[in-house]
Amino acid sequence: MGFIRKFNIKQEAEDLGVSVWQAPSFLFFLMGLFIILVMVVIYFISQFYDSPEVLVISESVVVVVIFSIGNSIIKSMEQIARVNKMKSEFVTIASHQLKTPLSQMNWELELLLSKNQSGLSEKQLEIANTIRQSQETMARLVNDLLDVARIDQGRLVLNKEKVDLLEIIDAVINNNKILAKSSNVEISVIKPKKLPEIIGDKKRIAVVVDNLISNAVKYIEEKGFVEIKVEEGDGKINVYVKDNGVGIPDNQQNSVFQKFFRSNNAVRYQTEGTGLGLYISKNIVEQLGGKMWFKSIEGIGSSFWFYLPINNDVNR
Amino acid sequence: MFTSMEKKKILIIEDDSILQKALQEFLIAEGFETLSALDGEEGVKIGKEKKPDLILLDIILPKMDGYEVLKAMKSDESTKNIPIILLTNLGSLNDVEKALDLGATTYLIKADYKLEEVAKKIKEVLNI
Repeated sequence: MGFIRKFNIKQEAEDLGVSVWQAPSFLFFLMGLFIILVMVVIYFISQFYDSPEVLVISESVVVVVIFSIGNSIIKSMEQIARVNKMKSEFVTIASHQLKTPLSQMNWELELLLSKNQSGLSEKQLEIANTIRQSQETMARLVNDLLDVARIDQGRLVLNKEKVDLLEIIDAVINNNKILAKSSNVEISVIKPKKLPEIIGDKKRIAVVVDNLISNAVKYIEEKGFVEIKVEEGDGKINVYVKDNGVGIPDNQQNSVFQKFFRSNNAVRYQTEGTGLGLYISKNIVEQLGGKMWFKSIEGIGSSFWFYLPINNDVNR
Repeated sequence: MFTSMEKKKILIIEDDSILQKALQEFLIAEGFETLSALDGEEGVKIGKEKKPDLILLDIILPKMDGYEVLKAMKSDESTKNIPIILLTNLGSLNDVEKALDLGATTYLIKADYKLEEVAKKIKEVLNI
């Protein structure tokens, strides 16, 4: 079955964004056919003419033809690689260009809401706060796209700073409180009083925690709970996020950590979302030396968990 | 506590006038004194003349880029000890590492950091 699927040339051409005759499998197939054909022809030729010259000439013709087909295979591979590179370059450039106006909005809004908020009416403040939230959402989207481009190019940079995971988790839960309240979701936390510090990237670890918690909250249908558990053990810190949300269908569980993945039932409940969060989160956790998994039953709920190693050098 | 001390002078080298003004306003409200330069050349000139306590430095600048400014400041005996915080939106390993190699103290990403965090970082570096 797998072999047949792999040999679906039309599908391959579509996936790669090239025409059928440019698809590497097709060209390979063509080359194979041609070699068989030529061997048969040469066989017959050598039957009729018993002269080495004819054989040498026909062999040369064959080599030339095989060479040119091989050449077009390489060409089409090159084109695919080039298009791919252009795509990620485009994402990088576009996101950087978007970052300048985003930085401006970021700081101007903060000025408006901190040092200059006296004189604003309640209504005006509310509007400014809404704009602030939109700005944050957009900054997040741009960052996600940039992160994906960086992960794909293998150059995602993570800060190395001391991180207090409890502080991050508290802040993230706080940020998700309004969302949870409006969706009738109860968030509960079980955590130790103190955790050793770990070394990592504060902002990005917060992104990981936020992805898990906000996903859990978002994909609860009507009313439900999100349970967060943090514990230390074995030189690691484990974080569990369990919900009784819509869950992920069995047949889609393999692609949960792929980029742009959104499960069928998730799309039905929540139209928003890029499907980048978990892909990025898993990559961040792994780059920090940890791991991320999940378990999910459709209609019952999901639990996601990850661990990050405790760097002993810091906690002496 | 902070206001009773002598005001710390921060030089902001940033060519985007909106960001430049926002930083100035916030830092002044936080009790700092600010100096501003809109390109690298001006930045080096002001830096050498006024000897600020700290420099916020953009990387992409007209006339002289941030790396050149860094080199100029770090090669001058009278300015080489002034801490420099990089303002960037690049955040890629090479750019940041290059700047840190050239002697920048630390860096921050403009689109992600709040002004409050910028001020916090400045205070951290200045130990206040």
